[in-house]
Amino acid sequence: MNEGVEASGRTLEEAIEKALAQLGLDRDQVHIEVLSAGRPGLFGIGGEEARVRVTPLATITSSPFQEPAPQPVSQAPFAPAGADIEEEEEEEGRVVVKGTESPEVSRASEYLRDILACLGLAAEVSVRAPETPGDGLGRASAVLDIRGEDLGILIGRRGSTLAALQYLLNVMINRQFQSRVVVTVDVEGYKRRREEALKGLAQRLAQKVKQTGRPVTLEPMPAAERRIVHLALVNDPDVVTSSIGNGEDRKVMISPRRRSRGPGRRP
Amino acid sequence: MKELVELVAKAIVDHPDQVEVTEDDAGDHILLRLKVAEEDMGRIIGKQGRIANALRTLLRVAAARRGVRAVLEIG
Repeated sequence: MNEGVEASGRTLEEAIEKALAQLGLDRDQVHIEVLSAGRPGLFGIGGEEARVRVTPLATITSSPFQEPAPQPVSQAPFAPAGADIEEEEEEEGRVVVKGTESPEVSRASEYLRDILACLGLAAEVSVRAPETPGDGLGRASAVLDIRGEDLGILIGRRGSTLAALQYLLNVMINRQFQSRVVVTVDVEGYKRRREEALKGLAQRLAQKVKQTGRPVTLEPMPAAERRIVHLALVNDPDVVTSSIGNGEDRKVMISPRRRSRGPGRRP
Repeated sequence: MKELVELVAKAIVDHPDQVEVTEDDAGDHILLRLKVAEEDMGRIIGKQGRIANALRTLLRVAAARRGVRAVLEIG
């Protein structure tokens, strides 16, 4: 029986192409498991190759591996529920989740208030516990909500200014505490609205994948947004999600999950 | 704007006492020069310039609020 092949390449795409060539199959005939997303090196040195295991779907449908649960279910709520979600976490390294009363979170809100003052923005900062995947539940120690007048300037195009603000704030607190604590920064509920939109998009595209039986690839997105898409579909028995591409180009692919076609074929 | 650069830089470096920021009117823009201890250069720039770029993005907000353009030089 064909157990699939492992291949590596400079990029994930390259690794997948190599594996597909070895098997002589198309992308929609296989299951792709990302073993390592790889990292581009500086000037071509010190990087890490991307590695994938590509398994023909016929092998998966007859394997007891996926039975009875179609996907390993994690014990912790919103903890990584699949290889792809774990891989998104890798980008920022292992993090420590602390309470909203922790010194790290207090310092983060102080810094944020100071930054807003420097920017000349009259805004209020409130601290709350993360509630949803978009808030960084299971990863972020707190959500710092910024509210005020005319804060669109703080969000920027596709949230790019907000992303820069959140990134800097996290670097600042982690340098101070030598820790790996993450806080999420939101402005006027922007991230909450974006999360709802992404969840809706994920559901609509999953329907399309089920109808056509063909994989669909989303626009490139930052890690936190890809995670929302993965988590939105993690319990859908008919589709699987994976991430492809590197860096700024990384995007989520939603593919049909092939299972045994008739009840008689189940082991 | 100077205060913003100072605030962020001092939080990030190992030697906050060696952080120096100057702000000069360069005609069509405001020039901000940030000096840090030599061993802190990597910290303030970040991998692939990510920290410096994030700081420049925030600086754009501060500059836009004042109706000016700001340029940040590090080193």
